[in-house]
Amino acid sequence: MRQVFWFYRKNSGRIARNRLKLLLVSDEMGCRPGIVESIREDFAKVLSRYAEFDPMAIDISLARNESAGASDRIPVLSARIPILYLHNTRNE
Amino acid sequence: MSQVIVITSGKGGVGKTTTTANIGTGLALLGYRVVLIDTDIGLRNLDVVMGLENRIIYNLVDVVEGNCRMKQALIKDKRYPNLFLLPSAQTRDKTSVSPGQMCKLTDDLREDFDYILLDCPAGIERGFQNAIAGADRALVVTTPEVSAIRDADRIIGLLEASGMQEIDLIVNRIRMDMVRRGDMMSIDDVADILSTHIIGAVPDDEEIVVSTNQGEPLVDTDSLSGQAFFNICKRISGETVPMLDLDAQKGILVRLSSFLKRA
Repeated sequence: MRQVFWFYRKNSGRIARNRLKLLLVSDEMGCRPGIVESIREDFAKVLSRYAEFDPMAIDISLARNESAGASDRIPVLSARIPILYLHNTRNE
Repeated sequence: MSQVIVITSGKGGVGKTTTTANIGTGLALLGYRVVLIDTDIGLRNLDVVMGLENRIIYNLVDVVEGNCRMKQALIKDKRYPNLFLLPSAQTRDKTSVSPGQMCKLTDDLREDFDYILLDCPAGIERGFQNAIAGADRALVVTTPEVSAIRDADRIIGLLEASGMQEIDLIVNRIRMDMVRRGDMMSIDDVADILSTHIIGAVPDDEEIVVSTNQGEPLVDTDSLSGQAFFNICKRISGETVPMLDLDAQKGILVRLSSFLKRA
C-alpha cells in the first residue's frame, strides 16, 4: 500500500496543476468547483457514444473574449478532446 | 518616458516587498533614477527590507495630506545612486489615501524619476485599488503553489478589468529539485495555467532571508536569486536576457556537502 502512496505523492505537482486548471475555470464562471468536473464527465459520457478517447485527456478551458471591450467580456468555455477513433456507426 | 510599475500578487507573503526592493535597487544599478513607494498603509515593510527604517521622518500619508513636501519625505539611499524610498505610514490605515490621490502623486513623480515602483499590499480592496491607480504596468508575483496561483489569477483578472495594458508574471521561490521530483509545478506550468507572460523566475534562496535580516538587497551579489532579480531588471529596461539555468548550481559538491551536514 505504501508503494501506491509513494507513487501518488511523486506526482503531486501534476495533481496541483489539474486541480488548479479546473478551479480557475469555476472561479471565473462564479460556479462551484464541482460543476466543471460534472461538465467534463457529461462530455465524456455523450462523446463515448461516438468515439474512443482518453477521458483524462479532456482539456476544459475558459477563454477570455479579449477582442471585445472590457465590459463585453463573455467567457467562452472550450473543450479540447483528442479522439483516438470514431465508432463506425452511421444513423441515416 | 517614465514608467509607473505596481508589484502585486493578491496572496500575502509571496515576495512582493522583497521583489520591489531588489528590482528597484537593480534598476538603480543599471543607471536609472528610481523611487520605491510603500503603499501598504498600516503595515509598512519596504523600509525595513531596504534597511532604511531609521531614516523615516515623513511618509506617504504626510505627502498626500500636505503636511510636508515630497522632497522631505523621500529617503535617499546612500548605498545606491539615484535610489529613493517613499515609506508608508505605520499608524494609519488604507482609507487615509484614495486612488485619485495616488494617481496625482505618481504623476508628480514622473518628472524626476525613470521608474516609480509601487509595493502593493496583499488583498483586493482599497490598498490594491490605491496601488494600481496610477500604474502603467503590473508585475504579478506568485509562487508555484496552489493558493498563490489561484490568487494571482484573480488579481490578473482585476488588473485586466481595470484596463492595465502590460501584465507580467514573476515566479518566486521556485525549487528545481522539487520540480524535478514532480513535487512542485514548473515555471512552464505556471505560465500555462495563468496564460500570462513570465518576465522572470527567482529560486528559493536562503540568501534572501539573510539579506532582509541585514537590510541589504541582494541583487548586486553573486547569489542565484540576486542574478535572477537583476535579469528581471534588464528585461524591464527592454533588454532581452535568456532565462537563468536554475539547475546549474546543484552540482555534486553542493549535494555532497548537504549530505555530510545531515550525517
